[in-house]
Amino acid sequence: MGVFENKFQDNIVVASLDKLIGWARSTSPWFFQFGLACCAIEMMATAASRHDLMRIGMIPRSSPRQADVMIVAGTVTLKMALRVKKLYEQMANPKYVISMGSCATSGGPYWQHGYHVLKGVDLVVPVDVYVPGCPPRPEALIEGLLKLQEKIQSERPLTRKTA
Amino acid sequence: MTVNLEQLIKEAVEKALEGDMDAINNIEDRVTRSRAKASLVKAKREATKEKTETSLDENSDATSDSKKDKTSNEHISELLIQQFPDDINKELSSKKHIQIQPKNWLVISRYLRDDPASLFDSLQCITGVDLGEESDLEVRYNLHSMTHLHAVEIRISCPRNKAKVPSVESIWRIGDWFERETYDMYGIEFEGHRNLKRILLPEDWEGWPLRKDYEVQETYHGIIVPKVKEGWE
Repeated sequence: MGVFENKFQDNIVVASLDKLIGWARSTSPWFFQFGLACCAIEMMATAASRHDLMRIGMIPRSSPRQADVMIVAGTVTLKMALRVKKLYEQMANPKYVISMGSCATSGGPYWQHGYHVLKGVDLVVPVDVYVPGCPPRPEALIEGLLKLQEKIQSERPLTRKTA
Repeated sequence: MTVNLEQLIKEAVEKALEGDMDAINNIEDRVTRSRAKASLVKAKREATKEKTETSLDENSDATSDSKKDKTSNEHISELLIQQFPDDINKELSSKKHIQIQPKNWLVISRYLRDDPASLFDSLQCITGVDLGEESDLEVRYNLHSMTHLHAVEIRISCPRNKAKVPSVESIWRIGDWFERETYDMYGIEFEGHRNLKRILLPEDWEGWPLRKDYEVQETYHGIIVPKVKEGWE
């Protein structure tokens, strides 16, 4: 930063563009509501006033085109899996997926005998953060979201990747 | 003195109960007269209580007798045997259900709904049953009458490889979705249903999941469905 030092007035902040983009993306990841089962209740509780997702910049959206994060909350059936995939593809880049609860992560209680249940949403879409629990408490989901924010922050979208 | 008074009251009450109120009214002492009247009222009350108790006992005896004799299943079964002698399987029917041949089920169901003696206006449930890999499939109907407040269970069995039962969707409108669900899970075809397709599973699903010989498909639209989970349990 030596080049810019003492060249501007006091109210100007200098930062690297990579970090600036990371900061902007990570502090307002609007999420796509994907309530499929009982996990949806916990997701709603997380977004409601007691836990208040708005304070970490997350606003629920009902359209995939306005969302950055997809929270898959609940049991994904094979019938729904195709729709999950389609909706994921409709989201604009950069996009992230949180698998909430044991059903979305691995099939959960339907692991062995659920003929109709997708055994993990990562079979269909790439998952960034898995939140364990059946269903996870709001605190657990918030922990997962903060982990995701860390991940977004650490990305360097403008840096050329060297092999 | 008191003994005499009580005897006097007793005699007066007995006379009054037989219809002679003067026996009490002619008592000169006011206190004694009112005591007599009070005991008369008491006696009358006890008499009516006994009467109602005995009549109640008789009534309950009568109703329990008629109920002991026949369940509503047996009662309706008799009606059906008179109307459709060939379609009722008497040996397989019991106090709790009526076994019916599938052939005339549409006619029988219309009779059950419209006949004043049965008037089953409500189809409460349709259940599919797989009786085992070697045996038949079965459909069970639970009917209830809002007018007579009685209920029956009808059972119809059909062979596994040719599972066809007449549809009652045109008789009870609720049967539409009930039959579609039974078709979805057991592959029982309801002949005459106007919109017989899967209701819960996707339309391109293979197989009938609740049959005993169901095998989970290996892939669904390219998604792998793992079959046996080793190292689990």
